[in-house]
Amino acid sequence: MKKILLVCNAGMSTSMLVQKMKAAAKEMGVEAEIDAKSVTEAANEADKVDILLLGPQVGYQKAEMKKVSGGRIPVEVINMRDYGTMNGKKVLQFALDKMEA
Amino acid sequence: MGENNKFIDKFSNAAMRVGGQIHLKALRDTFATIMPLYILAGVAVLINNVVLPLIFKGDMLANVQYWGTVLTNGTLNISGLMVAPIVAYMLSQSKRFENPLAAAIISLSSLIVMMPNVLEVTPLNAENPVEVSGVLAFGNIGTTGLFAGIFIGLITTELFIRASHVEKLQIKLGDNIPPAVGKSFNVLIPVIIVMAFWGLISTVLYVVFGTNLVALISTFIQEPLRRVNTSLFGVLFLYSLGNLLFTLGIHQTVIYGTLLEPLLIANINENMIAYANHQAIPHIMNVAFVPTFGMIGGSGCTLALLIVTFFFSKNKASKSIAKLGIAPGLFNINEPVIFGYPIVYNLALMIPFVLVPAIGIAIGYAATVIGFMDPCVVYIPWTTPPLISAYLATAGDWKAVVVQLIIIVIGVLIYLPFVKVNDKIAEKQMAEGEFEE
Repeated sequence: MKKILLVCNAGMSTSMLVQKMKAAAKEMGVEAEIDAKSVTEAANEADKVDILLLGPQVGYQKAEMKKVSGGRIPVEVINMRDYGTMNGKKVLQFALDKMEA
Repeated sequence: MGENNKFIDKFSNAAMRVGGQIHLKALRDTFATIMPLYILAGVAVLINNVVLPLIFKGDMLANVQYWGTVLTNGTLNISGLMVAPIVAYMLSQSKRFENPLAAAIISLSSLIVMMPNVLEVTPLNAENPVEVSGVLAFGNIGTTGLFAGIFIGLITTELFIRASHVEKLQIKLGDNIPPAVGKSFNVLIPVIIVMAFWGLISTVLYVVFGTNLVALISTFIQEPLRRVNTSLFGVLFLYSLGNLLFTLGIHQTVIYGTLLEPLLIANINENMIAYANHQAIPHIMNVAFVPTFGMIGGSGCTLALLIVTFFFSKNKASKSIAKLGIAPGLFNINEPVIFGYPIVYNLALMIPFVLVPAIGIAIGYAATVIGFMDPCVVYIPWTTPPLISAYLATAGDWKAVVVQLIIIVIGVLIYLPFVKVNDKIAEKQMAEGEFEE
């Protein structure tokens, strides 16, 4: 079971992407726990997940999130276009690729 | 755009570094945490002054209004007091300090250490003030003490963390002692050092200068900063700068959350208290006003963009993003539109994105100054839908809704030509086989 955590400013805009990713996961037959949190809350949840995906508007927090997760897990910024069009499939694939690497 | 790109890159990088700066981040996180309390205060003020008077009269009314008064006491009137431990806790967490609770408690104590010991208070129904000691005044631990709380919270935490990591200052009690006890003894000396330090400063300030830290910070830092940043031009400049950042893909909170929001919150707090006491409302510019008239449908007043797209755009991609964006947009959440339309790095839309909010704020300001609409006195959540937000923020002035509608119409008129330009550019790019990634 892969645990994916999306991060944005208030945890609200990414929550929509989460719904789309969950649907994509079901379609692809991938078992994943996907959630969205604000930057502050994500810092506390970092040790419970397998990857942190930052919304592009909080990309400036990447270094800080990397520190917070202690380098244990991949911390990546979601592609602007995929984020804007709420492309759940693409973002999920991106996450899976990064977790493989 | 070669040269422009370099400048934009430099600007973005600088903004990113500012955004990631841990003290500013602690500040933003603190206000995000307290927000529900302020909103509760807003609801309490609203109910106390608009709803209850419809139901009760006279002595009965005064009695039930006690409810709103005590809620205000527990929220607005202790703002300064609350931020000190919270900002300390947030900073400690960012720094991965192992005892954030201790940092929070020491910061709270330190804030009180810096409070004046003797105060002038005017008793109820009296003319002249008297000197008292042994009390904390809402005037000092409320909004006026906001910056003092932040200042002390941040500095105390830095000092405390550094002192705690000095091996020589640690008292180790051994493994048989319960962890909680061992932890507090471990930091005993740093606690003593930090607090004695603040005590010394407090004493010098009082004995030599006849003042105290809260008064100093409030007079020399908070007030001037508030006056400048929350002036009409201050807000227009800073808010537009934040929106500009957003068009570069960086959330406007990097600027707004640090340079504007705390001060705008101070302003709405004073408004709420004035409103509760039936006094003149001091500040037009506040944290309820700015989103209500400058962020209609989300940053950049994108509700206007969505309306234009639905009715006047011929671009299929734009229309599908608009459809996707309307539901969250009604709650002022519009990142999908910002990144999906896209507005980021799209000059045609960047211009109205920055222009329309500025115009909205200016119109709202003018409407209040000439007395057409009431000032905003209720701290509503920024996710309150348009039209409802104007009504609630002004505690029930329908004319504010009219002003908001006017701004939306003007927004539509401004976005219209830019959307047409955007459509043309998109059409050309499709024809030339160029796809933006």
